[in-house]
Amino acid sequence: MKEFFLVAAREIKVRGRTKSFVISLVASALLVAALAFLPSFFDDGDSSFTVGVVGQELAAGPDVTYKKFDTSAAAEEALRAGEVDAMLLDGQTLVGDGSVDTDLEYLMRQAYQQAQLTSAGVTLDPLNVSTIAGKEAPDGARVALANLLVILLFMLIMFTAMYVAIGIVEEKSSRIVEILLASVKPWQLLGGKIVGLVVLGFVNLLVIAAAGLGASAAAGEIGSLPSGIGGIVANTFLWFLLGSAFFAALAAAFGSLVSRQEDLNGVLSPMTMTLIITYLLSFFVATKPESTVAQVFSMLPPFSAMAMPVRFAATDVPLWQILVSIVVMVVATIGVMMLGARIYQRAVLRTGARLKLAQLFK
Amino acid sequence: MLEAKDLHKAFGEKVALSGVSLKVAPGEIMGFVGANGAGKTTTMRIIMGLLTPDLGTSSWNGAPLNLQQRRRLGYMPEERGLYPKMKVAEQITYFARLRGLSASDAAAAVSRLVGQLSLEGKENTAVEALSLGNQQRVQLAVALVADPVALVLDEPFSGLDPIAVDSLVEVLQARAAEGVAVLFSSHQLELVERICDSVSIISAGQMVTSGPVTQLRAQAERKLKVVVRGAENGWAQGFDGDFTTDADVQTLITVTADDQAVLRSALQAGRVEQFGWLQPSLAEIFREVVA
Ligand SMILES: Nc1ncnc2c1ncn2[C@@H]1O[C@H](COP(=O)(O)OP(=O)(O)OP(=O)(O)O)[C@@H](O)[C@H]1O
Ligand SMILES: [Mg+2]
Repeated sequence: MKEFFLVAAREIKVRGRTKSFVISLVASALLVAALAFLPSFFDDGDSSFTVGVVGQELAAGPDVTYKKFDTSAAAEEALRAGEVDAMLLDGQTLVGDGSVDTDLEYLMRQAYQQAQLTSAGVTLDPLNVSTIAGKEAPDGARVALANLLVILLFMLIMFTAMYVAIGIVEEKSSRIVEILLASVKPWQLLGGKIVGLVVLGFVNLLVIAAAGLGASAAAGEIGSLPSGIGGIVANTFLWFLLGSAFFAALAAAFGSLVSRQEDLNGVLSPMTMTLIITYLLSFFVATKPESTVAQVFSMLPPFSAMAMPVRFAATDVPLWQILVSIVVMVVATIGVMMLGARIYQRAVLRTGARLKLAQLFK
Repeated sequence: MLEAKDLHKAFGEKVALSGVSLKVAPGEIMGFVGANGAGKTTTMRIIMGLLTPDLGTSSWNGAPLNLQQRRRLGYMPEERGLYPKMKVAEQITYFARLRGLSASDAAAAVSRLVGQLSLEGKENTAVEALSLGNQQRVQLAVALVADPVALVLDEPFSGLDPIAVDSLVEVLQARAAEGVAVLFSSHQLELVERICDSVSIISAGQMVTSGPVTQLRAQAERKLKVVVRGAENGWAQGFDGDFTTDADVQTLITVTADDQAVLRSALQAGRVEQFGWLQPSLAEIFREVVA
């Protein structure tokens, strides 16, 4: 067991010092921090407008603020300068700069019609709107966060898996593995490597989370973060661990089949394809978190690795689905680890041409 | 005593070893020679537990080798293996720790080896930035770091300049003097002959002969060399062997049971300037037994 930790510690020390790791760490943290400063990012889509008005106003509700001008020339000047979003002339004509925002146009149209109806002496009973218990519309801020998670998880899982594969081929091509395996068992070497690199990915995710939350606080936007953000973050960490362990084990198994870095991309393509499909599916899940497809894939490994945390971020997932998903994914990860270790053990000392899986299990 | 007994190994159809045995005693330096593809690397990998033999065992002092005991063997693989981007001292320390040394023992062993192998000042250099010879030293340091009871070195001399060869020889002899069993493979037969107490010769997966160099010599076919000046050409016709003439000096190298008959003919033919048994070189013994 001591050897296992020595291997993991070496991975952390050596990879953690590489330029590429440091750059990706800093870049991803900066990116997320920058997003937190973008006020519209977690915006629910409710926007307010300022309209320059000459003469009569229209009752357009709380989202429209009026700014009075004496002449239409003065209003037009303000419109050109971008001080107002549009100008309203005599309660009759709405003028935009180039175009009129569709939401604003809708509000003004409503107000205009209402004003006409009122002046014609018509009073309308408002439409009663209420809900029965059922699907809520997805929360915009949560969907935005879910979309961000898709990208982050994809990047971090991909990096982790790639580093595992690159490390294995490095040891194989340079024959270090011969000296290593004279002192440690294959599973210790493989497991130590995977654990070390997953820990590095985890650290990267921690830094990203800290940067994102810190920047939101600094920007005074912490209130606009979705409620339950703590649970979403914790859940993301858990799924990163499971997902990266799963894909790293796959990468290890495939990576051990080749002896040269040049052959790595080819042999890893089943792994990368699976990960990319998971990625694309998760985008879908982020936008339609309640759909049957989202429900199924968020419980089906390895797609659940990203689909579940994304869905969890986007909507409220029933507890039983979360538990089923975790249990199934844990079982699948253990299975892939065991299979990966067997493939690795058989392949890692066989250098030369790319090996076929069938060759290993004859 | 490091021992391999009756090793058999096939890779699919290809039989690499069929009954290889060898023994290296503490303090003994054994050379392991054989043509390309004869099975040296395969034998060593089996001893190091990197390959599982189809049949046969390897043992230390009579107990079958397991991973725990293999950590006490120093190994240098045929194709050198080090982490190219890791620093020298860090690298040696890592392998020391993997062999079970504590952090402080590892640090002490590393600084001792750095001195012994003249790697001072290079402790913090990445391995890839070292010359081949220095990389080889680091490789050797990795093999030596855990105070091994035996060394298994696959072609440790290949690629070294004569000075580096001498310093490696010194290191191996010093270790052997401390009681370490040393097994190394090589294609440099003069070197093997010079430094080894004993030699094992493998051919096509089978051990052809094994033993002290003097004993191999005694077993080998002996050749008689006679140099005669001013003789008629025909005098040596009755004997098989190589006959060469250079001006009026004639040389006969022959395999014979009756050296006195050769001498009598030579004396009758002319003036005998040289007469004696040749010491067969290891290269000659090798060619003879492998042929
Ligand atoms: N992994 C393998 N798969 C198939 N054949 C192998 C494998 N390893 C070795 N062999 C074969 O086994 C035989 C012995 O090889 P080995 O490497 O032990 O020879 P060697 O004596 O070390 O040769 P050299 O002097 O060239 O290093 C060779 O015919 C080789 O082709
Ligand atoms: Mg060899």
